[in-house]
Amino acid sequence: MMKNNIKTLLALISLTAFMVGCQDALDIKPAQSLSIDQALSTPENIQAILLGAYDDAGQTGSYGGNLNLASELLGTTNEVSWQGTFLQPRQFFQKNITIDNSFVGGAWTNAYQIINLANVVIENSSIFTDADEKDRVEGEAQFLRGIAYFDMARFFGSTYVAGQVNSQLAVPLSLEAILSTEGNDFAVPRSTVEEIYAQAVTDLESAATKLPDSNGYLATSSAANALLARVYLQMGNFAAARDKANSVIGTNDFSLTSSYADAFNNGTNSTEDIFAWQVTDQDGTNGMNTYWATRAFGGRGDIPVQASFRNTFEPNDQRGDFYYTQSNGTFSLKWQNQFANVIYIRLAEMYLIRAETNFRLTTSIGATPTADINRIRNRAGLTGPLNDFDPILNPITLQDILDERKKELAFEGHLLHDVKRLGLTAGGKNFDDPLLVFPVPQAELDSNPSLVQNTGYNN
Amino acid sequence: MKKLLFVFFVLGCFSVNSALAQNRMITGKVTASDDGSPLPQVSINIKGTQIGVPSDLDGNYSIEVPSSATVLVYRFLGYITKEITIGNQTNINVTLDPDITALQEVLVVGFGTQSKRNLTDNIAKLDAKQLKDLPTAGFQNAFAGQTAGVSIQQTNGKVDGATRVRVRGVSSISSSTEPLYVVDGVPITNNNESTNGAAVNPLLSINPNDIQSVQVLKDASSAAIYGARGSNGVILITTKRGESGRAKITLNLSSGISRETNRRDWLNRAQYIELFREANANSGGSNASIEADFDFLAGNSDWRTGEVDTDWQDLVFVDGYNRNSDLSISGGDDNTRFFFSGGYTDIRGIIRGNDLERISSRMNIDHKFSDRLSVGMGLSISKSSIDRLSNDNAFATPLQAIAQSPLSPAYNADGTPNPNTLYYNFLIEDEDANYLTSVWRTLANVNLKYRVLPSLDFVSEAGYDLFSQSEDRFWGRATETGQSVGGQGFVSSVRTENLNLNNYLNYGKDLAADHYLELTAGFNYQTSTRKYQDATGVNFASDDLQTLASAGTITAATSNLTEFAFLSYFGRANYTFRDKYLVKLSARYDGSSRFGANNRYGFFPAASVGWIASQEDFLSNVKNLSFLKLRASYGETGNAEIGNFASLGLFGTEAYRGEPGLKPTQLGNEDLKWERTNQLDIGVEFGFLENRISGEIDYYSKETNDLLLAQPLPSNSGFTSILKNVGSLTNKGFEFLLNTKNINTTNFSWGTSLNFFTNKNEVTRLPGGDIISGRNIVREGESLASFYIVEFGGVDPANGDALFVKNTENPDGTIDRSTTNNFSEASRIIAGQAFPKWEGGITNSFTYNNFDFMFTFQLVNGHSIYNSGGRFQEASGDFYDNQDVNELNRWQNPGDITNVPQARLFGGNGTQHSTRYLQEASYVRLRTVTLGYNVPQSVIDKIGMSRARVYFSGFNLLTFTDYTGYDPESTADFNSGFTNNIALGQAFYSAPQAKTYTFGINIEF
Repeated sequence: MMKNNIKTLLALISLTAFMVGCQDALDIKPAQSLSIDQALSTPENIQAILLGAYDDAGQTGSYGGNLNLASELLGTTNEVSWQGTFLQPRQFFQKNITIDNSFVGGAWTNAYQIINLANVVIENSSIFTDADEKDRVEGEAQFLRGIAYFDMARFFGSTYVAGQVNSQLAVPLSLEAILSTEGNDFAVPRSTVEEIYAQAVTDLESAATKLPDSNGYLATSSAANALLARVYLQMGNFAAARDKANSVIGTNDFSLTSSYADAFNNGTNSTEDIFAWQVTDQDGTNGMNTYWATRAFGGRGDIPVQASFRNTFEPNDQRGDFYYTQSNGTFSLKWQNQFANVIYIRLAEMYLIRAETNFRLTTSIGATPTADINRIRNRAGLTGPLNDFDPILNPITLQDILDERKKELAFEGHLLHDVKRLGLTAGGKNFDDPLLVFPVPQAELDSNPSLVQNTGYNN
Repeated sequence: MKKLLFVFFVLGCFSVNSALAQNRMITGKVTASDDGSPLPQVSINIKGTQIGVPSDLDGNYSIEVPSSATVLVYRFLGYITKEITIGNQTNINVTLDPDITALQEVLVVGFGTQSKRNLTDNIAKLDAKQLKDLPTAGFQNAFAGQTAGVSIQQTNGKVDGATRVRVRGVSSISSSTEPLYVVDGVPITNNNESTNGAAVNPLLSINPNDIQSVQVLKDASSAAIYGARGSNGVILITTKRGESGRAKITLNLSSGISRETNRRDWLNRAQYIELFREANANSGGSNASIEADFDFLAGNSDWRTGEVDTDWQDLVFVDGYNRNSDLSISGGDDNTRFFFSGGYTDIRGIIRGNDLERISSRMNIDHKFSDRLSVGMGLSISKSSIDRLSNDNAFATPLQAIAQSPLSPAYNADGTPNPNTLYYNFLIEDEDANYLTSVWRTLANVNLKYRVLPSLDFVSEAGYDLFSQSEDRFWGRATETGQSVGGQGFVSSVRTENLNLNNYLNYGKDLAADHYLELTAGFNYQTSTRKYQDATGVNFASDDLQTLASAGTITAATSNLTEFAFLSYFGRANYTFRDKYLVKLSARYDGSSRFGANNRYGFFPAASVGWIASQEDFLSNVKNLSFLKLRASYGETGNAEIGNFASLGLFGTEAYRGEPGLKPTQLGNEDLKWERTNQLDIGVEFGFLENRISGEIDYYSKETNDLLLAQPLPSNSGFTSILKNVGSLTNKGFEFLLNTKNINTTNFSWGTSLNFFTNKNEVTRLPGGDIISGRNIVREGESLASFYIVEFGGVDPANGDALFVKNTENPDGTIDRSTTNNFSEASRIIAGQAFPKWEGGITNSFTYNNFDFMFTFQLVNGHSIYNSGGRFQEASGDFYDNQDVNELNRWQNPGDITNVPQARLFGGNGTQHSTRYLQEASYVRLRTVTLGYNVPQSVIDKIGMSRARVYFSGFNLLTFTDYTGYDPESTADFNSGFTNNIALGQAFYSAPQAKTYTFGINIEF
């Protein structure tokens, strides 16, 4: 009897010993995630990280919607109004941003996520054995990093003033890949607007060289040049802006769509799109649609366009009729399709930049300002003679060009930056009013003691 | 002499005869006082003799008593012994009162049982009686007001809402604070699997009527045997099992109605027009512009005539009901015992469109093969179907309708919902959208017990828990979500399989006189696998075809998989000396796949001692002292709910235009491990007057270290945070429990049970500084999740501006208490705490003849609620949202003294986050009240029943509070995920709780 018991006990103990084999069961790997080593181990993965950076940039929190939204609402005087419930855009509209505005915080965070991914790609680009592939990947990463720094400088630093050293503070500069906290000190102070613009220009110029002419819907050499035209214009470097715009137009890779409406609500890039953030019904979000379209089209109907702006258009101008009216207001048709790409740079902007800079520099590189402007007007259905702006009887003025720019590019995210560049006012605030600059987000001030808040913001 | 002898003989015979003649048969029935159930095997003795009989299965007895007998004694384990004077009675029906102190009671502890008397742990218990008749789906509501140290909060009045259970405070900042739930030895899945942001209580899949007892292991001594998962307390659920004897059929039927506990008062049409005309004028708007706005709001109606004056709140709340049917059959013989049950619950919530239905079944069988080998099994299956609503932060959720203007008609003339309201009309969602959540749970376990030696048992328990949840959502073309995409459908399905194996040895022996030793040692292996998938489609052929088969386009689909495993060894030793000195040691060595490579295993020991002082000679003669025990324990437990892969540096996937992308999702930390809690508990248990007064007093001090915190990183790192084991916090408190039998006579009894407990939470170490989430802060030296907010300073009598107290620091270090109308000039302050400072409950139970009556008050004190919706509801006419009537007390003229700033349309006058919307929310609530009547035996005998009771019960019938929001227990459900321990105590269009009136009947055959 006792023996039996002992046998049983031994059996139980051996069963227990068997269970010790379960130890391996504690090594469980995630099924949806890669370790950092795995993620950096193949060219395909680095390419995927690059696409991750595009995806980050295209999010609603930044280029998918909120940066454009902030520019249009902060910059508006009587073009649009805000009738939504979200408090963050409302603060933009009222030019009274609090430092815990989550759209501002999100824009800052998102920018550095883009920048870090770009840095990861650049640091690991040597994994590509093909030199062209390596250049392309580096170029795309620099393109995205350049975009991010350019807008960080524009939103968080006060206005860039041409012809001086812009020592006003912008944002911290980060150029190294960060995938671990070890040995890293993140308490980086803000670099100046001058330095951040310089980084953006360096990145974009490098990207323009490295990128191919054609690259599907991803960044191309033209995309980098087009963005440079925008950057130089913002910096008041009119000659460089003109030349960049001219070079993009000169590639003949792009053409204005036949009607104004065709330029918008496209699920794939139109002939006019030089670069657009990709949205499909599967991935990506058209964050512009969210606020600018009505419920019937998947949005919230938060931003009606005011009659005072609609009335600035001439009769027969397709752009003056590019609206729809519902019970809660009149809305722009530009963002009606929730699954359309979010336009970033389109050819019309290049014509407008070339026209403006040629005019300012009294040159006619590529075309006369009159010709460029009339090209834009003509496409919008203003079918009068091309010499609407007759060089002698009705010479075009700078104001004509700027008016045209405003009509053409309305609600595409340019307003605030044009107010600042042109020294205008927004809702009674002067272009250099500190409240037209984003505050440094509360969370960043809390976690980075090296940061200094912008003028005009407390707490 | 012979004669004499004869006489004696005759006399003797006479006297014997007369004795025989004087012997009487006394019959009767013994029942339990609390629920009227018959008590079998009650020992009925003639006082002062050995003569006695037991009661039968139906509680009936008959005993022959000699004339000399004057008193009958009724004894039954777990009940207070009762003595009845016989007098002239021949039929004595007796009700016995449960011995609430129940020192003889046997408690389930991890991997074994122990008598309450010899316990050195602190364990709270609920029994079946406290769990039945609940009008809510989740059994956790039974804790309210009943258990010291266990707090519960039902999120809000939605029937499916999560119920938070906190055992002795909150021991984590970023990990789960939910206790570990163990059903019949199997740790079960307790994941919130809702996809809409509002948690669904995963335990509503358990039928409370199947539960025999719920025990809460509160201190380290009891919970350390669960090691890395014991810090939040362990809740052991034991299901009902059969008892040998004649099969017993129990049928419970109940049906009730419910309403919301509270409504608020909103502006009617005339008040709305008055306030907004004024707000508009104050903001410099023209009369024409506000009238145009009114025109818009009124749609096709004319707001001037008053034809429309919509009370939106009235459309939100509906008459709820609850119906419950529960049938169980149990019985068995000496070798085999069984318990079968089936239950059906149907609850319609108090908010339009919110319903729940549950069917469940359980089968428990035990069989004894021999004196050495016994086996048991349990199997339960349940399905719950819930019609759900959007979370509180959606226009589609019904209660957000209170923001709509009273000028807007709710319906068009043709009876369809009016689509042209200020905000999306929830009635459209109600009519044209569906949201069905189904929850299935299968719990199966088998156990084997083998007596290896007379004092050594081997126990093997294998358990399987299958938790499945699916969601089917559809939005028709008229809905906000569906209108731009031709209807939208969403389906999801998640399945969590959880396998558990316990093998252990139990040894118990009297080593020598006075020495008793019990040993337990074993191991536990658990693995859990969760698979999830969902798909979204748009462009439906018809609103009537709602499965994705009819979607023109599938816009999203995903699936994912995650797993974890634990491998653990545990041991326990209980030593008793002279039945009065108690020592217990326990430990667990816990390994988990969740822990970082550098900390794969953790060791969790605990020790406790007890002294039953009343056993000592020097106390045995103390008058009226029945029982006195002192005990103390100290030990360590962990919290392993840190996420399955938190220690790893990872890249996750994203798609960009259909091409795969990779992004870093978290920074790695190989040192990452469980959160560690050390707990001290000192307690005393006492009984006086034969335990008519009994109770427990405990003090505990829990210190939690290695708290997992997302250490904020500056975003220029590309990340916003990294997880580290860095924080510390403490929970300290007193628990006080008192049970008294105030009156205890044959026909009438009155008992009181009172509990009171405090908890003081303090964050003691927070490297990385304050964590601020919305209006809550985690700050060193403060209670977790305190409110951190600008102080509202009233209204400037001169101009009606909202004022804020600056609370900035002066150069000399003092605080500037002056006010400003510039919100940005004011600093935030700690303005209240999200958790109660103390809680308690008082229950009174009465029986009078066949009636029983019981009521429980719950007291919760010291927590505040921030009404995030206040910025829209009491916004000084800032936007067209309808306003609380209190807004009519606005400032109007210079000199007005009021707390409501001047109404200004789009003026943002005081609508910033401030203490204007923060209120203390202490309350006293009549949680339950029950009145029952046991149908007299003579009646039920005729209809073949052994017992019948009808009852009325009420739930949440009365609430006393100064809080002016909907309900002092209701908070926003989109913050109710189990891991959000910071954004707490906020209400946002959160529905009040339900109050319920139920009639029911309990029948036994």
